[in-house]
Amino acid sequence: MARLATTSDVFNAVAEPQRRRILNLLTRGERPVNFIAVSLRYKQPQVSKHLRVLREVGLVSVRGAGQQRLYKLNGKRLKPIHDWAKTFETFWNESFDRLDDYLNRLQAKEKSHERKE
Amino acid sequence: MSEKNNPTAESSTQEFVITRIFDAPRELVWKAWTERERLMEWFGPKGFTMSTAKMDFRPGGSFHYCLRSPDGKEMWGKFVYREIVAPERIVLVNSFSDAAGGLTRHPMSPTWPLEMLSTTTFVERGGKTTLTIKWKPLNPTEEERKTFDRAHGGMTQGWTGTFEQLAEYLAKG
Repeated sequence: MARLATTSDVFNAVAEPQRRRILNLLTRGERPVNFIAVSLRYKQPQVSKHLRVLREVGLVSVRGAGQQRLYKLNGKRLKPIHDWAKTFETFWNESFDRLDDYLNRLQAKEKSHERKE
Repeated sequence: MSEKNNPTAESSTQEFVITRIFDAPRELVWKAWTERERLMEWFGPKGFTMSTAKMDFRPGGSFHYCLRSPDGKEMWGKFVYREIVAPERIVLVNSFSDAAGGLTRHPMSPTWPLEMLSTTTFVERGGKTTLTIKWKPLNPTEEERKTFDRAHGGMTQGWTGTFEQLAEYLAKG
């Protein structure tokens, strides 16, 4: 039996920008390989190779539908990556929220000064 | 300054990018970044306070700070300013630090790049200011570069702006 993919394999898989674009496309639903290739203007063998990597780490699953094979995103596998990066983003998003409040306070103060004069 | 940039050596890695539009003139946003008292008002996540802040705002100068979390933990950090173009651009080296100002590793990730080069730009349009920060590792070791690239995969900005779709998708489980 094949070994189970680890979280760090998932991190490696999404470190590649073309694979991220493929995952993004799949957020809209199941797609066949040729649709992905045409939409992103990648060569089909290249897309197949990326899809194989994504399947190996469990980020994508595939099913046959008539003549076609449809690829589907497995969002749950992405969660650990999001959680990791969240710390950095939270730092900046929350800092920016505070900066936004601060700038609004400053400008409100200026306006009320203007009115008094 | 004697330090030289070496963009080709660093360009193998993608950058982290964060952008936000503020409803304020650029002059004001610039001040909020470059004056110690003002920076202390907002820098850090919600509930954090800046307990120490030493600022020497000039190329080659530094900003050494300590952020205190709501549960009392301290986190020291340091900026070393490289380039200042008022009111448009600040280039600095960003790192974790100790109380004495020495560089330290990321508290949660020992292979995180020791130093990050960060470029902040301020662009005004119609009375609003677009702020963009870009980060990349500075002279990273191979291991540091890998750690950074992996984290990049998880960054929402790394997902070419379609994060909302992805977030929605994740929310659906």
